Amino acid sequence: MPRDLQGWPPYASPGVVTGLLGLGLFGMGLALTLRSVRRAGAALRLTDADIRAYLTDVGTRRLGLMLALSVLYCLLLGRGFPYWLTTGGYLLAVMLVFRAGPWWQILLISAGSAAAVAYVFNRIFAIPLP
Amino acid sequence: MVLGPWHILVELWQLLTPLTLVYVTASTFIGIVIGMLPGLTATMGVALLTGLTFGFPPKDAILILICVYVGAIYGGSRSAILLNIPGTPANAATCLDGFPMARRGEAGPAIGLATTSSFLGTVFGLFCLAFFTPLLGKIALQFQSWEFFWLAIFGIIVCGNLTAPTDPLKGWIAGFVGLLVSQVGQEGIAAYPRFSFGFDQMRGGFALIPVLVGVYGIAEVLGVMRETVVPRVTTQIQKVLPRWRDLWLYRRTILRSGIIGVIIGAIPGVGEDVAAWVSYDFAKRGSKKPEEFGKGSREGLIAAETGNNACIGGAVIPVLSLAVPGSAPAAVLLGAMWLHGVRPGPLLMIEFPNYIWEVTAMFILASLAMLVLGLSLVRVLVKVLMVPRPILMPIVFVLCVIGSFAISVRVFDIWVMLAFGFLGYPMRKYNYPAAPMVLGVILGDMADVNFRRALIRTAGDPTPFFTRPISLVLVAVTLLVILSRSAWFRRILAAGSARAKAALARG
Repeated sequence: MPRDLQGWPPYASPGVVTGLLGLGLFGMGLALTLRSVRRAGAALRLTDADIRAYLTDVGTRRLGLMLALSVLYCLLLGRGFPYWLTTGGYLLAVMLVFRAGPWWQILLISAGSAAAVAYVFNRIFAIPLP
Repeated sequence: MVLGPWHILVELWQLLTPLTLVYVTASTFIGIVIGMLPGLTATMGVALLTGLTFGFPPKDAILILICVYVGAIYGGSRSAILLNIPGTPANAATCLDGFPMARRGEAGPAIGLATTSSFLGTVFGLFCLAFFTPLLGKIALQFQSWEFFWLAIFGIIVCGNLTAPTDPLKGWIAGFVGLLVSQVGQEGIAAYPRFSFGFDQMRGGFALIPVLVGVYGIAEVLGVMRETVVPRVTTQIQKVLPRWRDLWLYRRTILRSGIIGVIIGAIPGVGEDVAAWVSYDFAKRGSKKPEEFGKGSREGLIAAETGNNACIGGAVIPVLSLAVPGSAPAAVLLGAMWLHGVRPGPLLMIEFPNYIWEVTAMFILASLAMLVLGLSLVRVLVKVLMVPRPILMPIVFVLCVIGSFAISVRVFDIWVMLAFGFLGYPMRKYNYPAAPMVLGVILGDMADVNFRRALIRTAGDPTPFFTRPISLVLVAVTLLVILSRSAWFRRILAAGSARAKAALARG
């Protein structure tokens, strides 16, 4: 029991409900596992060919690209770069990578969107930008 | 209660300012656009706009969110009819008859019928909202810690059961994960930090909006960007105004679907998609022409669209009276109300006596705007469906980021949003519904605080959890829901009913 909670009855301690939730999740996880084993679904049966097919799938590559660009964008936010530049760059990169249209159209849309978002939030709503 | 209609008129009159009408028109339009774009759901729209309207006066912000909610649930019917892809899960049943109607050259009438039945459904739902919320509020005043704890568990179990119909276990797991997520941060009795691992940012717990935006918004953006094929609208749209004869002919279907929508809406966390399917199913069973269902039946289309929109009013009833959301978008609406200083729940009628009427008046404006925009901006809205997804989705992502950040101006919230997006994507892929998890995040604090407070009040004696009348009803219904999904219980029921039938036959 933490020092600042000494004297509290055990049934009122902060861990009671979390403990019960953990027990519940353990029980349901166990039920799911047992059911999988009973239905012969426990073995993954993944082959090298399956993994290769998944990794070279166009959908997987698109997902990976989107994830990578989005994480990079979030990493750059709040690190001193101007918001309009980071956001415009992100939009431009995603639209170019996913071939959203002619380059001049993409450039216009990304610059316009980044400027609009920055203006509306910073100037109209007076919210500091990340 | 008797003065309810008068109060609604007064609130409506107060809302009728030029600026408010601009908000109503713009936000309902945004809602329709969000709803009609496959991949963007009503929940995501309301969550996104919650962040974007954070700086607005509370009344305007809630009005905007209600308009987005109503618009989005209706807007999904547009892509369901024209593309055979439901814009939101709530419109999946609309595809069955809407798209066949469009294929045989009746896209205009299908859109017209969907719009008017959505309007009628919303109006029916909001009248139920105005009538039943004060009644439920009075009952809720008798709720104490024991009942609130069971209400949270009941909500999670029922929501998990109905949103994961093929595998309720996954729904319940999602709900329990949501409850566990809500335990992060300082707890509600002694402010003792849990699962913060020494990080100051974690002491405050996960804010609701970044979690919701992540689970619904980011997961959807990732899902849509993964797809390579984007369908195009090829249907020509002629006359949109519906035949009033159809609406009169199917008045019973409209009424029945409205009632079903409201009842399902009032069940915690279940939502518009289930309401539409159940309404559709009941309409088919009660129809004189069930063979036409799935082949372009006007009755089927009316049932689905009335049901899902009536559900909106139903879903807001428990929000206002119990602070328990009836659907995922209503959960975000509840979070937005908290953000703006309104405390829905049993004390709402005492602390904010006019709030129910105010919300009803907002719903009236939203449904009127939906009707007018839906019937008038047909060609403009079809053009929205032509916007390439690689242009739209990164912009949505940027809005998700800034919306999550704007609530508390913390970069930490952006990471929370991203983390829950990464969690939401595989959850969706492996059929773990997001709605119970969201409900768990919202109800977690209620379950935790009330469970421990109840035990403190009885010096550790858990008996009242099972002996107080309302608690007992909630426990019984929760157990029944769990047992009804187990094979052995259904076998026992079947054997019992067979024995009863045999006994009756013997006389």
